[in-house]
Parts: sequence; C-alpha cells; structure tokens
Amino acid sequence: MADPRIIKEKIFLVTIFALTILGILPVFHVLAEVIIKGSEAIAKHGLGILTSTSNGILASLVGSAILSILASLLGIPLAIAAGLFVAEFSDTKLAKITRVVSRSLLEVPTVLLGMLVYIIMVVPMGSFSLLAGAIALALVMLPYVMVHVEQAIESVPPIYREAGYSIGMTRAEVLLGVVAGIARRGIATGVLMGFAKAMGETAPLLFTIGAARTTLPCSHSIPLANVLDPGDAVPLMIFQYAQMPQKMYHDMAWAGSLILVAAFLAVFIAVRLLVKEVKT
Amino acid sequence: MERDAVRTENLNVWIHGKHVLKNINFRAAVSAITVIMGPSGSGKSTLLRSINRLIEIVPGTKVEGKVYIFGRDIYSDDPYRVRRYVTMVSQTPNPFPHMSIYENVAIGPKLHRLVRSKEELDKIVRWALEKAMLWDEVKDRLNDPPTRLSGGQQQRLCLARALALKPRILLLDEPTANIDPVNARKIEEAIKMLVKEEGITVIFVTHTPAQAVRVADFIAFIYNGELVEYGPAREIALNPRHRLTEMYLRGEIG
Repeated sequence: MADPRIIKEKIFLVTIFALTILGILPVFHVLAEVIIKGSEAIAKHGLGILTSTSNGILASLVGSAILSILASLLGIPLAIAAGLFVAEFSDTKLAKITRVVSRSLLEVPTVLLGMLVYIIMVVPMGSFSLLAGAIALALVMLPYVMVHVEQAIESVPPIYREAGYSIGMTRAEVLLGVVAGIARRGIATGVLMGFAKAMGETAPLLFTIGAARTTLPCSHSIPLANVLDPGDAVPLMIFQYAQMPQKMYHDMAWAGSLILVAAFLAVFIAVRLLVKEVKT
Repeated sequence: MERDAVRTENLNVWIHGKHVLKNINFRAAVSAITVIMGPSGSGKSTLLRSINRLIEIVPGTKVEGKVYIFGRDIYSDDPYRVRRYVTMVSQTPNPFPHMSIYENVAIGPKLHRLVRSKEELDKIVRWALEKAMLWDEVKDRLNDPPTRLSGGQQQRLCLARALALKPRILLLDEPTANIDPVNARKIEEAIKMLVKEEGITVIFVTHTPAQAVRVADFIAFIYNGELVEYGPAREIALNPRHRLTEMYLRGEIG
C-alpha cells in the first residue's frame, strides 16, 4: 500500500499541471486563430489590404501608430514622474492623495474616460481628432504605468539608498541614478504594458477620434497639426468591421488583428532584449 | 588645532519618540581607529549615523546636541557635503548591482567632480581598489557586475567605493558581521594600513569585544544609549573602570 502522502502529492501535481494547461490553452487558441485567419486574409487580398485606404486598413494602421506614440509621449513621462514621487515621498499628503486617485482611475471604465475627453475637448473644438483620442488613451495608461513604476521603485532594497547617501549623493542622484537604475527592468515593463494598453484599447476612442477610415490624417500643411484631424485605430476598426455582414470587412478585421498581435510581440520582445534585468 | 576628528556634545537622538542616544559626549582622535562597541540595540549604529547625518534619511528622527567634525558643527552644514568627507561602509555588502565593478568605485569621484580625465579616474579607481585589497582579484574583470563577486569581495568593493572619495573620516558599521573570517581579516588589515599610510580617521562599530580589542586605538563602550566608558584600547581592555564594560568584555552581557 502506497503512502497516502505520496498519493496526495501526485494528485496535487497532476491537478496544477492540468489546470495550467487549461489556463494557457485559450491564449494559444486565440493566437493561432488570429495568425491563421489574418494570414489567410492577407494571402487572399494581397498586401493591398494593408496599404490601401479604400479597400484596406491603412488609415487604421497609421491612426493606431500615431495614437499609441502620442499617448505614450503624453502619458508615460507623467506616469513615471508620479510613480517616482509617490514611491519616494510616500509619507507626504500629496503622495497619499495621488496614490488613492490613481488607484481609483485604474478602476474607472475606460469608456467614461472617452466620454470625459469628448465633453472637455471634442465638443468645444467642434471636431473629433487623434489628439483627443491620444489624451483619452493617456488617461487610461497613466495610473497603469504609474503603479508599475511605483512598485518597481519600492521593490529596491533600502540598503542601496543608504549606499548612495553614504558617499554623498543627493536625493535626486540616489533616486534617479541608483534606485531607478536598479528598478529599470520593472519600469521598462510598466512602460511597455502602458504602450500595449494604448495600442489595444477601443472604448476611449469611440467618442474621440471619429473613425475616419478612408482618409489619412493629412489635411494640414504643418505635419504636427495633422493630429487635429479625425483618424482611426485598429481595435476600433476591428470592433466595427466585425459587425458588418460582408466577408471583405471580416477579412480586414482579421488582417488588422494579425498586425496588432505582431506589433505587441515585437515591442514586448524588443524591450525584454534591450533592458537587462539587474540581479541583486 | 582641533585634536579630535569627531566630537559630539550632549548628543541626543530620538527615533519615533524612543530615546535612542542619551547625552553622548564622544570623541574620535585624528588618524586613529576608534571602535564603538556595545551589544545589539545599544545605539552604536545610530551614533555612527549621526556623524554623517545618515540618521536623517529615516523619517521620524530627532537629533539634539552638536556634532563637530574637525571643529565644524556639521548640523549647520549641508548633509551631502558632510558625507563627501565622511564616507561609510554598511553592515550588509551593498555594491550598486546595476553598475560594473569599475563604475561602483568611479561613481563617487565622478559625481563630486574630483577628476578631470579618464586617466585620473582610472588612477583613483585603482588606488581605492588596492587600498581595499581587492585590486589583484578584480583587475581583469572590472566590467563585470559586482554580483559575481563573493560577499567578502563585495564588502571590500564597498570599502573601495567609500575610499575613492579620499575621505578624511571613514565610518564602518560592523563591516565584517556578514562575511567570512578570511575576508573579515583582510578588511581589518586594510583599515589598519589606511590609518597608517593615509592618515585616515576610522570609526568602527562592532558588537564583538574580540574584534574591538584587535583593531582599536581607542574604544567607546555604549550600553542602552549611553556612553559608559571611553579611553585608549589597552586601558579599556586591561583595566575597565566600569563594571558594565568588564562584564561586556567577559561576554556576560550582549
């Protein structure tokens, strides 16, 4: 007769193994589905499905690129600064308030942030714009990246701060040169997650960018001013094209999904390779 | 001319309302090793951290009284400037893990602009590593991260980092408590040489009487936040005046 403890151990191991497989299976299913359907669509219609504005998704791709870059430029510096502040000056009233507000912002449905920007920006300006979308996305990213930065900073053991101070470093030098340096992988991961969130969000864009799917944002002579044009984004396009009856629209949605997933993976792998982990 | 490198006058420290140091009048002679010894929790590390004002990075700390370094009241000076002349090595080896071995030593002189060229910096880094008795072990792998070194080597790297600023006073907070005896001996030896060759003033915290007697020129015995006895090491070791000191040296309290 086998030892009941050993039997329990076997049951335990088999259970967590089976549940793990069950957990990751849908992820692979989704990935496989997107890759197969997406490449089928591209194979069927040719690269024109990506490079045309009339029979393709070029406007959505361009819009998504502009939106995620612009949202990151607006949101990430603020998020990093706020995260550093809250972690370093955690005893101050402002830090405590910032922490509570950012945690609440994290829980706000993102469609509300889109509505907010619609009211304070789109209505007064009288036009949908990529800038309005980018601001809404920045609001979505902000608390998200901030929490990551904060946790990365807080996870650095205090002995390294002491080391910095004990050779005459100032507080800024300790925070930026030592603590943030040690936490760089965590900070980079937070930034990456924020960027990915900006690329993937749909709801904040519903009331802000105007879904201009057949024209590129280039009505102004000054290139930067074109962010005031309406535009489109890949997730929004997928959401709306998937509801259309015609097969062609479905194919465009699949092609867009494939590009989106590929972009995620590219950014993810690049950051992992470029930012080395600091072993402590 | 001030004879003492460090002198405290009625120094009192409270941490979160707890009276940790009580009316301390402590001295450390120039170019000598003064050991602060005492049992765990007696306030020796707090006394050490009052000398470079590191105590202030802990929120909820209150300091009263004076600390003079070469006759100057440091609490009316900028804390960052104080720590540039009074550097410290902590109990746990804490080399910056995101920098190379070289950068760990070079960072101080670079930040404080002590050098004008790469050659000068190289020279200072080499000097500091030699003084910390680490140069021969790391000279071929200066670009490695410090985490590849053993704990004892890491601690000597921290010593080199503190030395690279050419401090006048070096504070050591139980620098050998977390490392093996061979490395501990190396550090003790390195410190004695520094005092002899460079004239650095060393204040060394330890909780082992044997180490205190081994390295000290002067010993200050702290118990329960009070300075019980202070004097030349031989005198304290052979004829302690206070009963508590005697008991501590015999290992009866600790």
